[in-house]
Amino acid sequence: MKPRYAPYFFLAPFFTLFTVFMVYPLFDSIRLSTYSVRGMQNQTFVGLENIERLIADPLFWTALWNTAYFAAGSLLLQLPVALALALLLSNARLKGRNLFRLSFFSPVLISGVFIAVIFYLLYDRRYGLVNRVLGSEIQWLQDPDLVMPALVLAGVWRWAGFNMVYFLAGLQSIRQELYEAAAVDGAGPWQSFVHVTIPALKPVIAFVVITSMIGSFQLFDLPYVLTEGGPGNASMTMVMYLYKHGFEFINLGYAATIGWALAVIIGVISIIQVRLFGVFREN
Amino acid sequence: MVERMNHLGKAPLIFGLLFLLAFPVIVFRGDDRSDTLEFWIFAQTHYDEFSARIPAFEAAHPGVKVELRLISKLHDKLLAAFLSGIGGPDLSEVEISSVGRFFKGTKEEIGFVDLTDRIEREGITDEFVQARLAPWSLGGRIYGLPRDVHPVMLLYRHDVYEKAGIDPASIETWDDFVRETRPLARDDDGDGQPDQYPIMLSAHKPGHFWLMLLQNGGGMFDEDGGVIIDNDIAVSTLEFYCSLLNEEQLAIPEFSQDPASYAAMKEGIILGVLAPDWYISFARRFVPELEGKWRAMPLPAWQEGERRTSTWGGTMIAVTRQAENPDLAWEFAKFAYMDDEALANRYRKTFIIPPIRSAWSNPVYTEPEAYLDGQVLGRSLTELAPDIPGFHLNPYWAEANDLLRQAVYEAANGIRTPADALSHLAEQVRALRNNTAETE
Repeated sequence: MKPRYAPYFFLAPFFTLFTVFMVYPLFDSIRLSTYSVRGMQNQTFVGLENIERLIADPLFWTALWNTAYFAAGSLLLQLPVALALALLLSNARLKGRNLFRLSFFSPVLISGVFIAVIFYLLYDRRYGLVNRVLGSEIQWLQDPDLVMPALVLAGVWRWAGFNMVYFLAGLQSIRQELYEAAAVDGAGPWQSFVHVTIPALKPVIAFVVITSMIGSFQLFDLPYVLTEGGPGNASMTMVMYLYKHGFEFINLGYAATIGWALAVIIGVISIIQVRLFGVFREN
Repeated sequence: MVERMNHLGKAPLIFGLLFLLAFPVIVFRGDDRSDTLEFWIFAQTHYDEFSARIPAFEAAHPGVKVELRLISKLHDKLLAAFLSGIGGPDLSEVEISSVGRFFKGTKEEIGFVDLTDRIEREGITDEFVQARLAPWSLGGRIYGLPRDVHPVMLLYRHDVYEKAGIDPASIETWDDFVRETRPLARDDDGDGQPDQYPIMLSAHKPGHFWLMLLQNGGGMFDEDGGVIIDNDIAVSTLEFYCSLLNEEQLAIPEFSQDPASYAAMKEGIILGVLAPDWYISFARRFVPELEGKWRAMPLPAWQEGERRTSTWGGTMIAVTRQAENPDLAWEFAKFAYMDDEALANRYRKTFIIPPIRSAWSNPVYTEPEAYLDGQVLGRSLTELAPDIPGFHLNPYWAEANDLLRQAVYEAANGIRTPADALSHLAEQVRALRNNTAETE
């Protein structure tokens, strides 16, 4: 074999599988979103009707609102917690910090279904640890006003430690001289944090914010097991709604439309974030 | 770049050839598998039961191999296999709450083999509890053998009843139940909430309401596919259900089958449960402390002399249209679901009553059950089993069932009146049918 063909041989398996399992389904789902699918084979072309239906579907907007709520919760609560943990655990004077790091990181190693079961027990009205600690009888998962905050908190527990690792890596790459220079200029710890740490961490923050937003918009397993989208539809997320139409109602055309709506929303938010952070800008 | 790869020698060529060889082998499996039966199941208990029995089937059919697969998310994967037309098993179990999604589209598109003629040819149609064939049938054709009947009884704390001077025999109707058990819903600490409840009914999930509706002769669809979920029976059933939760405060609203509900039973907060046969084995397993304190009585009737049971849950075995040898698969289905001794063993472990009448003569069903204070549970269940209500499956079943959850939640939590919630539900289900009809 001529050596110049070697790279193609190496790349062929990936591209073949990628084409069969990613590119083809992706384009076919565009086609599918213009069809009404009933039963295993029956497909009828309906043009843009699925999009019209989506816009007029109140449950879609409920699912979008719930998903956006979770994403906002992740951004405003989970990431500051992750950063605070990273700052704490980057302190060389802290004894046993590797053990703490492992502990905070470990929830991400557990499957989402298992985490949902744990939180089901934690949030129980009568016997749950949360109510026992608070001395309350709050119905976390049965109250439509509390179910999404409860999911956000479960999300913090699951992902904060994972994002902490990114921040830790970022903190370790900040040169010590910058802090020394700031100290020479009379900067206190807060000023060092605001004027040295945060700017130096900007690429890491951008990465974590963008990937967390994408992950949050794809939320599925936690509410699927923990609440089944309830009470009522108070914790229905977009991917759950997609799953319901795709796999429970066999409404594949509409499910494809929901999927593309989700992709467009994630795309737009990601582009805005990329621009805000100036990710691809020179310098 | 190319030069740098020279040192790799023949590795790229070998990998490339391996891939080219493996790809068609995976995609176009041409081997003759007509003597192999792949059987998908979704529960560990079923796996244990069948893996112990398969060697007997293989011994009786030399050369045949049964591959038993415990599949997580079985219904999603089976559906994907039906949609793509490849990768499905020869036989599969299907759970009742998921069966609706397999009956979309025309008869030709259903992924299961129509077993009606085989069942008739074997002369076993009358062997089964007739209402139990209905959930696995569409348009008069049967697509699966039922595994169970799941008659429902009322599990109650007979020690508490005795202390309170309540005679269970005096509870014949739901009105009797309300009158007799009202004194049990006591508020000892004066917080306005009872500290113990005569029954557990979910205010968030539709299971308990659904079985009470079936018992009352209601349902989602009639036999012609008409939507009947807003008729008088359904409205009065939901009104009564909500009154037990709210006005009467006889029902604890927060549990369905949660682990926490077992803790509430242990503490004596829950004094009664709507219990199908399988649930009683759950109680035995998860609340062993209450051995001898529970007994089971027939459900209170809606009117005197009417039906004293309902049904909750269920599983079928079906032969798929991807089966290479449907005759052999059918033989296995009968072996798996219709052997008297195996069914008796299953009862010992799970209290599940088989849907085959002739099997009920096995002595196992007359054994006293220590967990229920020596009550002969098998006899009570087999006496009730022929009277379970049936219901009509429909291609819109999955969507309608999902909307039912919302309606029960809204009614039970005072967001809509029961009549309003059901009328809204019926409207949505009818619209669903009309929309579909337009696009078909």
